Amino acid sequence: MSEFATIDLVPTEPVKAESPLAMCRVDVITEPKAQSAGVVVREHAFLGHLVLRGNAGDAGFVNGVEQALGVPLPLKMGPLSVDEARGVSLQWISPDEWLIIVPGGEAFAAEQRLRETLGGHFAVMNVSGGQTVLELSGPAVPEMLMKCTPYDVHPNHFPVGKGVSTTFAKTTAIIRRLDEDRWALVIRRSFADYLYRWLLDASEEFGVHVAR
Amino acid sequence: MQHYSGFELVKHGLSHHENWQRVWRNPEPRSQYDIIIVGGGGHGLATAYYLAKEHGITNVAVVEKGWLGGGNTARNTTIVRSNYLWDEAAWLYEHAMKLWEGLSQDLNYNVMFSQRGVMNLGHTLQDMRDINRRVNANRLNGIDGEVLDVKQIQEIVPLMDCSRNTRYPVLGASWQPRAGVARHDAVAWGFARAADALGVHLLQRTEVTGIRTSGGKVLGVETSRGFIGAKTVGVVTAGNSGVLAKMAGIRLPIESHPLQALVSEPMKPVLDTVVMSNHVHGYISQSDKGDLVIGAGIDGYNGYGQRGSYPTIEHTLQAIVELFPAFSRVRMNRQWGGIVDTTPDACPIISATPVGGLFFNCGWGTGGFKATPGSGNVFAATLANGKAHPLAAPFSIDRFISGKLIDEHGAAGVAH
Amino acid sequence: MLHIYCPHCEEYREEEEFRPKGEAHIARPQNPEETSDEEWGDYLFFRKNPRGAHHEQWYHAAGCRKFFNVTRDTVSYEILETYKVGELPTIDDTSRRAAK
Repeated sequence: MSEFATIDLVPTEPVKAESPLAMCRVDVITEPKAQSAGVVVREHAFLGHLVLRGNAGDAGFVNGVEQALGVPLPLKMGPLSVDEARGVSLQWISPDEWLIIVPGGEAFAAEQRLRETLGGHFAVMNVSGGQTVLELSGPAVPEMLMKCTPYDVHPNHFPVGKGVSTTFAKTTAIIRRLDEDRWALVIRRSFADYLYRWLLDASEEFGVHVAR
Repeated sequence: MQHYSGFELVKHGLSHHENWQRVWRNPEPRSQYDIIIVGGGGHGLATAYYLAKEHGITNVAVVEKGWLGGGNTARNTTIVRSNYLWDEAAWLYEHAMKLWEGLSQDLNYNVMFSQRGVMNLGHTLQDMRDINRRVNANRLNGIDGEVLDVKQIQEIVPLMDCSRNTRYPVLGASWQPRAGVARHDAVAWGFARAADALGVHLLQRTEVTGIRTSGGKVLGVETSRGFIGAKTVGVVTAGNSGVLAKMAGIRLPIESHPLQALVSEPMKPVLDTVVMSNHVHGYISQSDKGDLVIGAGIDGYNGYGQRGSYPTIEHTLQAIVELFPAFSRVRMNRQWGGIVDTTPDACPIISATPVGGLFFNCGWGTGGFKATPGSGNVFAATLANGKAHPLAAPFSIDRFISGKLIDEHGAAGVAH
Repeated sequence: MLHIYCPHCEEYREEEEFRPKGEAHIARPQNPEETSDEEWGDYLFFRKNPRGAHHEQWYHAAGCRKFFNVTRDTVSYEILETYKVGELPTIDDTSRRAAK
């Protein structure tokens, strides 16, 4: 257990939480039903996001992360470590950096488990307020993504379970392929409004439905 | 030299314009010159012209590996202005501006210098503070400049979107009415013709392959047409300056980058001034042919390839379309790149070197065209006297050792 | 458009994801206080700027956010190799001439 002052960022008093998209006004015409839409956009707001830094060459660190989170630490770019049932995912961002996403309200517990398990030189930061997740589904998602990113989203190059950090509409986003038809974007708060409106605008030609 | 005039035009019309004299000769190189200029672009040709005209030194050769004005002179976006922030730079570019104002008459060649004004847009409060500061500095140096508000901008450029709805709303601009554009090819040809008439040898397709020195002094240049001797050699080779420096065994604080530009299909007149925006990275004017002439920022990597990458062009066109939504359907005709020699402080190097008799005039980066006559004028004086012209003195290479930089990144343009 | 192999992501990525960061392998003088003005100026400002193979730093800004090194031809823009910071290049103009 590292000696480190920690704080649960979720307030104990009831405070109205707002997603980065709360104030977003969109003027595209959306499809009333998901079935008729080429792209369905659904925000997964208020998930717990943690950035983990550490030494991938240290077996204690690698094993400790798996012990604390229940999923193995990915050691190279691409394949995500996911426990879909528990809603936990772990993504390689850089040789010494990972993104952990846990269900809403569980970030502090996950952080504490990591601090209890890990020793030595590492860092874990709660960035839940700094980003949000958009799930994309529907037959036209790959085509729509091609308008937004230079990254190759062809199934041969982007298999299920892959996650990459890349350029998206001139800013950056993490793109993930959850299964055959579902994708997700992890976007930053400061770009959320811009990217959300970009996304809906880019999807409009395929028919876009915003699921709540 | 055959004098160009309206009367001559009518006279030659009678013989179907078939008897015009060749504009310049194509001489065989002598074995020895008083001064050799390496590089036959605008700056090199202007240097040769002023050497002959103002210093009476006519035993001069301009050595060019390709054809005259075929490098950056043919590849720039022809903007001329002198609204630089720091005194040293402002004086140098204003010296050039004063020469521009009489250049067509001086050369007896129409360089199509059009003082249609240059506008530098501000999109943030900090932009506006910088603009105010720069315009004040310009006026203290006797250079014309005004700060425009949005209403005044809209009167000059009605087509531009100055609404609050744009991503980077226009808050104001600096405005230099005496600034403008000139015809880039005509500048090279005008200087070449006038220099040739005064006896200067223009040696095209003569590539310098080495610089011969002895005892720390320059003896001449090895070329693809043999050795040519001279006790004074001035190198004016822009993007290739580093290559020439290597031949002489010296290092320069210069990195060569691709700088791209593009022109659209010709259109009816819609834009009668030059609009630049450092903030959104784009600048635009309309040529006399009707093409929109659009400039981009440099590509960040070093490159001698005379081409850059598409993201840079895309970025620039996004900025242009943001400012001028009406241009969104204009088709682009051509796109190209030049090699710009950028220095750490975005100011040129006009300097002696550790090699006696060897001088460099380089590092003009993205803004060399506007300085063409001024650069040639002060470099000619530097070569003729063997010591820096007072306006050139602050631009010595020594400033990168002493630390007395002239930081013009703010005013030097969109590209740095 | 350059297609750059990131040695950390182990994948080719588009140029837009990267930022060029200038000449690589420039060593900061060990004792700045004892360094002459010439040496310090040389360290800060003077660059090789070669026409040919160039060793330069790139930053994977939109990806792993790591610096790495690239050997690239500054005329053809061909990328000859990429390697991690701390490693040394295996290609330069001399080795390329020898390989021909």
